[in-house]
This record gives sequence, structure tokens and C-alpha cells, in this order.
Amino acid sequence: MDLSLILTMSMLLTMATLTTPLLLPLLTKHYQNSPHTITKTVKTSFMISLIPMTIFIYLGLENITICWKWKFITNFKIPLSLKMDQYSLMFFPIALFVTWSILQFATWYMASEPQITKFFSYLLTFLIAMLILTIANNMFLLFIGWEGVGIMSFLLIGWWHGRAEANTSALQAVLYNRIGDIGLILCLAWLASTMNSWEMQQTPSTNHIPLLPLLGLILAATGKSAQFGLHPWLPAAMEGPTPVSALLHSSTMVVAGIFLLIRSHPMLQNNPTALTLCLCLGALSTLFAATCALTQNDIKKIIAFSTSSQLGLMMVTIGLNLPQLAFLHISTHAFFKAMLFLCSGSIIHNLNGEQDIRKMGGLQKILPTTTSCLTIGNLALMGTPFLAGFYSKDLIIESMSTSYLNTWALLLTLLATSFTATYSLRMSLLVQTGHTRMPSIMPINENNPTLTTPITRLALGSITAGLLITSYILPAKTPPMTMPILTKTTAIIISIAGIILALELSKMTQLLTKPKQNPLLNFSMTLGYFNHLTHRSNSTKLLNTGQKIASHLIDLCWYKKMGPEGLATLQLEATKTSSTLHTGLIKTYLGSFALSIIILLITSSH
Amino acid sequence: MSFLHLSFYSTFTLSSLGLAFHRTHLISALLCLESMMLSLYIALSMWPVQTLTTSPTLMPILMLAFSACEAGAGLAILVASTRTHGSDHLHNLNLLQC
Repeated sequence: MDLSLILTMSMLLTMATLTTPLLLPLLTKHYQNSPHTITKTVKTSFMISLIPMTIFIYLGLENITICWKWKFITNFKIPLSLKMDQYSLMFFPIALFVTWSILQFATWYMASEPQITKFFSYLLTFLIAMLILTIANNMFLLFIGWEGVGIMSFLLIGWWHGRAEANTSALQAVLYNRIGDIGLILCLAWLASTMNSWEMQQTPSTNHIPLLPLLGLILAATGKSAQFGLHPWLPAAMEGPTPVSALLHSSTMVVAGIFLLIRSHPMLQNNPTALTLCLCLGALSTLFAATCALTQNDIKKIIAFSTSSQLGLMMVTIGLNLPQLAFLHISTHAFFKAMLFLCSGSIIHNLNGEQDIRKMGGLQKILPTTTSCLTIGNLALMGTPFLAGFYSKDLIIESMSTSYLNTWALLLTLLATSFTATYSLRMSLLVQTGHTRMPSIMPINENNPTLTTPITRLALGSITAGLLITSYILPAKTPPMTMPILTKTTAIIISIAGIILALELSKMTQLLTKPKQNPLLNFSMTLGYFNHLTHRSNSTKLLNTGQKIASHLIDLCWYKKMGPEGLATLQLEATKTSSTLHTGLIKTYLGSFALSIIILLITSSH
Repeated sequence: MSFLHLSFYSTFTLSSLGLAFHRTHLISALLCLESMMLSLYIALSMWPVQTLTTSPTLMPILMLAFSACEAGAGLAILVASTRTHGSDHLHNLNLLQC
């Protein structure tokens, strides 16, 4: 039995199954999509994608398939090659599982939406683009997937396009992603001109690659994965519907940047400058996002900032030269983050659109399933031992503590880990416990199986995924085995410190009056003043420079002052001066006569 | 240059400057013209003396004839101007003024 053939065919069958709901309505008039059929399609794809994953786990079989060569120009052919290695074979089932649950949830959440089928087709297109990005073996195909997810993100964030904030958020997402795309194109151009190929295998890993293409890759990851500097689009993207936030901005799209760095890891591993840059950038992003999440009052924004913080943690792992661990964190993070978003969606819908946690409370008795899963998700996020997040997050913190690296980055990451515990617990306390702060009569009902089944399914995944993945996949690099007890329990201790802090602060809110404004609170609430400082100044600077060059320099200066009109003005001046001589009086002519005589004297006196 | 050359050179120059800078009366301009003519006459007369040839001896006489015509024309303008404007001021000649 040729298992390699089965591997390839099942992966291609997965992709083909996913494209069926998009292509069939165009071919026949009888077949019309519906949310139910699309959900079933994704479920089928998930089942099919388990086959190649099982083959990989059982045998360690990896594969590269070349379907077609695009003869672009002579000596530069772009093959349509698909790489089925550990990363793509593991990512497919996880992404499809999460998407299946989200689509099932969306049949409940978007039930009153008139264009629900279009919404589902958009989500499906996004999924296909993301999977293309994952399975790509050359950078061109990856770029196609990259742009695809960017465009679908724009369309989905601005789904309710009658709302002005949704439009600005979608535009913000596209602009920030574009800035990152410049970096990716830079790397593509460098690869095309130096290696004459865009294949991942042909990038050399032994000799040193100059810093410029690696900077391009890091810029691309910064844009797509919302690292500090190009981060404002991710909290703003919460304007989209909750299924969109759950799929794009927690599990799949935002990890595309990190995935790019994982794929191009052979290029990065020998350049310590690039690795240090990743490390410090990731540490800064994770702490910044965690700080901003501390004072947020919108439940979706808290989860968005926690996503941003975890992305920073993944970037830190890349900086530690551990791509496989970053991928493990991507996989486990997908489960509990999607579940957190689905729980928040359930709460929001049940409270008739209320997103402010200050107006929720005491939901534990009213929405038991949702709040239990919210608690499971928060515990997994904090890295509670033996839930899913523990296997990746604790391993990252251990590797950081035992490596020879920048202490500042380590301290920032540890601080961010304790902040993670703090804001997660704050959210849980304000949402679930205490007295209710919502209006009295609310039609709260979570008895719908299309709501509870996906959430509980993802809860199962959040609990068991870490154990399953680490049991079956061997680590590529030796993890640190021995370390002092304090180092081993660092993550736990600082998380507990964060929890105690959150408990103390929550008591303070009920006993004391609200504190006055102080600079730290303002810094955290206004997201570090980043939006205020950069959004206005950068664009006005750019537009001013553009106006100077296009209008002032060319039109005013070249045409009016120096070019045609300038010549005319000069002539006019000369004419005006010399016309004072042409008065018609004899005096003037006699004067010019004298001038001629003087010139004659001077020139002939030798 | 020799003293002779200097004399008619400077005479010519001073007369022409006088022609240019006498701004009030036409007759002073005409007088300066006459002295320019005089210096030219002396210069032309010195030519056969210096080069010891006889052919250029005719030239001063020719020049004198032409200068007489010119002086007559200038005086006619002077008289005409006096007859129409009542004086010979130079600023009377302003028909071309813009």
C-alpha cells in the first residue's frame, strides 16, 4: 500500500472538498448553498484530513508534491508545489476542527442575518486561502494565500458595512497588513534575484544570509501578526461579527505571520541579529498587549489583546530558535482562543448585544455551559498545569529561563505572563461572579445544541490537545530537562501572583471608591497613546510631502518660477528696465553716445 | 603715443563728451560737433606729414566739405526749432516721446 500516495491524495481531497461549495453553484443551477451544507462540508474535510495526520504520526511520512510549473520567464519557473510536512499536516486537522465548530456556532449566532450564505462562503474562502498558505512550498503560493487572507479579513471585518467604525477598522486592517506586505515582497525580490527560486528548500541554511531579506520577513510578520508597531488593527478588528473574530483574529489569520517565520526558519537560524530582533519585538508586543488588556471593559477587546499577547509570545519563541515550539503554541492556542471567542459571542447574544463587562455579572448560574467553558478557556490561557496551554506555554517559559538571552526580554515576558493571569481572572470575575449588573428581564437561553455543542467540543480540545500533540510528535530540538526548582516553577508562581493580585484588586473595587486618574491607568486605557500619536501624524506627514512634491515643486516651482512663466517674468523685468531708456528724448540718445565713447576709450587704451 | 596724437585724440574725446553732456541748448551741441570736426581735420592733415606720401593730402578738404554741409544742416534745424518753439532748448525735440 503506497502510503505516500494516500497522503498526497487525501490532502488534495481535503482541499477539493472545501472548494466544492464555492464552485458547484456556478456550474449547476440546482445546487444552492446553505449554511448547513457548508458546515457539513467542513466537517467532512476535517474527517478526511485526519487520514494524512494519522499517517504522519504513525510513520513520520512527509511529502512534497509538484503539480504544475508556471514558466514565468526563462530560467525562472514557479512550480505549484505543496509541502506536506509536520506543520501543514498538523495544522490542517486543527484548523478544520476549529472552523467546523465556529461554523456550527455561526448558524446560531448569525441566524437573523439575511445574507448568511454569503457570510459562510466568505468564511470558507478565507479558510481555503489560509490552507493554501499553510501547504505552500514556495513563497509565491504562500503570497497568494497571504493576500487571500488579507482580503477576506477586510471583507469580513466590514461585514456590517453600514457601521462607520466597522469600515474604518477594516481599512485599518488592510493598511497595516499592506505595510507588512512590503516586507514580504522585499524578501521575495531578494530571493528571486539571489537564489533564482522561490522554493523553501533552496534557501541556504549554512552560509549567512544578509539581514535585509530577514528584516523583510520580520516586517511581514509584524504586520500580519500584530506585533508592536503595526498592532492597532487587531483590537479594532473586533468590529466584525464574533465568528469572524474567532476564526480570523484568534486562530488562523494572525498566526500566518508567525507561520511564515516558522517556514523560513532555516534562513533565520544563523543570523543572531534577526533572532534577537524577533525576541525583543515579541517581548515588547506581549507586554504591551497585556498592559492594554488590564483596563479594557469590552469583553471582545480583552480577548483580542490576549491574542496579541500570545502572538508576542510566539514571536519570542521564534527568537529563541525554537520553531516547533512556536507551532505547538499556535496549535494549542487555536483551541482555547476560539472557544473564548465563542463563549463571549454566546454571552453577547444572550444579553442582547451587551459587550461591556461592567454590565455583566452573576452569569454563572444563568449560563452554566458557557461560563464553565469560559473558565476552562481562561485557565488554559493562563497555563494551568496539564490543560492545553500548559504544554506549550510552560515549555516556552522554561526554555527562556534556561537560555542565554537578553534579560530584558525575559523579564518582560514573565511580567506579561502574570498580567495574562490578572486580566483573565478579572474578566472571569466581572462576567461570571458577583451580583448581576444587567437589566432585569433578559431572554437568556443557551439550550440550543448548535450553540453548546461547538463550545463543549472546543473545551474538550482545550483540555486534551496539548497532551495529545506532545505525546505523538517528537520534539526536533532537545528540550531542557534539568533546571533549578525555582526556574521550573517560574510560570506557575508568577501566574499565581497575577491571580492573587487580581483577587485583591477585585475586592478593592467593592470596598473603596473609584481611584482618580493616574498616568499608568491612562497609559493602559488609551492603549499606550499609540493610536493618537501615530494615526494622525503619519498620514498628515505623508500627505504633506506628497502635496509638496506633486503640487508645490512641480506646478508652482518648475512651471511658475523657473520654467516657461519664469522666463516670461524675467523678460518682463528686463523689458521694463530698458523701456525707461526708450523715451524719445535726445538726452537719452546723447547719453548712449557718451557711453559708446567711454567704452571706446577703455578698450583702445593699450 | 606722440604728443600730436594725444592732442587730437583728447580734443575729439572731450568734444564728444561735451556733445553728450550739454543738455540745455542745441547750439552747444553743434559747437561741440564743430570742434570734433576740427580735431578730425587736424588728424587727417597729419597723415601725409607722418607717412610722407602725397595722395592723402586731398582727404582733409573732402572732410571739410562734408562737415560744412553737416554744419549747415545743423544750423537749419536750429533755426527751424527756434522759429517753432521760440528757443533752441534740446527738450523741444520730443516728437518721438512715448
